[in-house]
Amino acid sequence: MTTDPVLAVDDLKMHYVTQAGVVRAVDGVSFSVERGQSLGLVGESGCGKSSIAMTLLKLLPDNARLVAGSIALNGIDLVPLSEDEMRPHRWDRISMVFQAAMNSLDPVYRVGDQIVEALEAHSSSAGRDAMERVRELFDLVSLDPSYILRYPHEYSGGMRQRAIIAMALACEPDIIIADEPTTALDVIVQDHILREMQTIQHSLEMSMIYISHDMAVIAEVCDVVGVMYAGKLVEFGPTADVYARPIHPYTRALMSAFPSVRGEKHELVTLPGEPPNLLDPPGGCAFNPRCAYATDECRTTAPPIVKRGDQWAACWNPSDE
Amino acid sequence: MAKYLLKRSAQILVTLFVFLSLVFFIVNAQPGDVSNFYALNPDVPPETRERLQDLFGVNEPLWKQYLVHLKNTFTGNFGISFSHYPRSVADVIGERLPRTVVLFMTATALSFYLGFGLGKVVAWRRGGWFEYTSTVSGVTLYTVFTPWFGLMMIWLFAFKAGWFPIGKFLDPVLWRDAPIDANSVFTQMIITAFAVSFVVLTVFVITAQKRMSNARIIRIVSMVLATLAVVAVWMSWGTVSYAWDILRHMVLPVATLTLISFAGTMLLTRNSMLETMREDFVMAARAKGLPESAVRDKHVARNALLPVVTSFIFSLAFAVDGGVITESIFSWPGMGQTLVSATLTEDLPLAVGAFVFVGIFVLVAHLVADILYAYLDPRIRY
Ligand SMILES: Nc1ncnc2c1ncn2[C@@H]1O[C@H](COP(=O)(O)OP(=O)(O)OP(=O)(O)O)[C@@H](O)[C@H]1O
Ligand SMILES: [Mg+2]
Repeated sequence: MTTDPVLAVDDLKMHYVTQAGVVRAVDGVSFSVERGQSLGLVGESGCGKSSIAMTLLKLLPDNARLVAGSIALNGIDLVPLSEDEMRPHRWDRISMVFQAAMNSLDPVYRVGDQIVEALEAHSSSAGRDAMERVRELFDLVSLDPSYILRYPHEYSGGMRQRAIIAMALACEPDIIIADEPTTALDVIVQDHILREMQTIQHSLEMSMIYISHDMAVIAEVCDVVGVMYAGKLVEFGPTADVYARPIHPYTRALMSAFPSVRGEKHELVTLPGEPPNLLDPPGGCAFNPRCAYATDECRTTAPPIVKRGDQWAACWNPSDE
Repeated sequence: MAKYLLKRSAQILVTLFVFLSLVFFIVNAQPGDVSNFYALNPDVPPETRERLQDLFGVNEPLWKQYLVHLKNTFTGNFGISFSHYPRSVADVIGERLPRTVVLFMTATALSFYLGFGLGKVVAWRRGGWFEYTSTVSGVTLYTVFTPWFGLMMIWLFAFKAGWFPIGKFLDPVLWRDAPIDANSVFTQMIITAFAVSFVVLTVFVITAQKRMSNARIIRIVSMVLATLAVVAVWMSWGTVSYAWDILRHMVLPVATLTLISFAGTMLLTRNSMLETMREDFVMAARAKGLPESAVRDKHVARNALLPVVTSFIFSLAFAVDGGVITESIFSWPGMGQTLVSATLTEDLPLAVGAFVFVGIFVLVAHLVADILYAYLDPRIRY
């Protein structure tokens, strides 16, 4: 592609400083997202998926340190920006559907007003215009417009999720990060919402980053997928390629831990062992203690990048099927 | 909403009934009775004593006295005060209740405003000298022995500095030839305060609900207009210097009450803020690109307010204690002082009347605070 990517992340490192030591939650991650593309990030709980999301918005707790790397949003690096310089980019250019979507609406304000608040923070369109826009957004996510003036506690879980998505769409951002957007919902509602998000994304030509631990969800909605382990990307590539021929043993393990997307029957295998402690990750390849193919090299030296078309993985013993 | 109000009012009535019964039985549990004031005088012959006791009704069975007590309370008949003879208890209370209500409401509003405002800032800027000084001084004031603190305030600001009068409600020298009595001036002051707060509040609520873009200007203009109106009205009444005298007398007791109580609200606000700051919707508000001040005030503080108001409602009754002590120290002739002096002089009708009215006052304050809470938290179902 000749156009510049909407988002280009290069060697991003974000660490949490805790009493027990430094948690390397994001440890040298690079990827880019093209306009209209959707990227999926998968990995077990605690591998740093939400940490990446929060780093992209630079919404970090006090103990977090953005150690290195760059985040180019439409060519502008967000990393050196101050809080005041960052603010206009948030939501207007990059918005987010939070993991805890259920609680990301303020209980004391009407949902419509909370969306208007976001609109007013980024443009001068006040009063009637903003309300008109809210009505459009409610329509877009198939919410009953009579709920605009209701409070969050009057919404069901699925409706709240839709409202959050409407809010994320409010300023027509270039990219939306959806952190486990549907984990708290039942499967049917989950399916509906995912499909709707995809339709909206295509019609508005937005880019998306979906974060999930569920390989099936990612397979359904993403063009490219990145597999994360211990704060690093271990495999990356077009979704179809990664799913058809995973290179990294961790990707394969993840896939066999979930029911197959295409419906073929296979034994569900649970991955042995615990996810690594990010305070003190294993040397070499962090996956080595749980890997069936681990060799001495894996335990001592960082693995090399193996490429296969647009797909790559960081592994000493890549699968060559 | 109407249903909720009705329900709460019914609950308040039941509480009032229990309270009235308690007052009656506690007074009756004391040795002696209401006739003692006259009947124990050794110069009173035994037959007169009998007659007095019959007149007071203290020889009737207890349950009959109880029913009479209830009936009298609900018809507003509390009898004649012994120490203010020949004024009726209702008359004395009618004069003093407003003074207490004003003192109490001003101090409560100020202490809540101060406590909430400070708590908000302290939570936002954790650590550092500001948190340290405000917490230490707040806790010191909160735990200080109230009578001592009141006396220190008088010593410092009235006696040493001479800025304020040493106590009481007014300066008798100024009022000797006054064309108007203190209660009327005070009533004018109360009416003014209510009118102004009503206007300002209405403007604030309307501008907020109609989401007007020029809300700020409208608010400022309306406040200026209200101030001008007040000045004009008081000029026409010609009682400004008298009102000023009463105001000067109010400053120290109000300041004392405010200072001893704001720390509770402050510390609670701080904790509540710190807890609310961890909520997801706060992160969402930041992600929306709102300025820090909007995140703090519109989202964190607004939600942190709810538990603070709850505990505030519970503390209302305790605030009355502080009020009684403060009024006595500053010789402020309100309900608290009346309660103390009526008890000490065995003016039983007045003491009972004062107790009943303090009780009603606290209950009404509760009701108002409850309604306010229901308005603040949309999750409350009416
Ligand atoms: N504020 C913090 N201080 C210290 N450590 C943190 C903090 N937030 C997260 N961590 C740690 O960073 C690591 C990555 O956390 P993160 O929330 O990004 O994981 P995740 O992949 O989103 O997991 P999940 O699927 O459970 O949401 C975890 O080990 C977590 O314990
Ligand atoms: Mg997460």
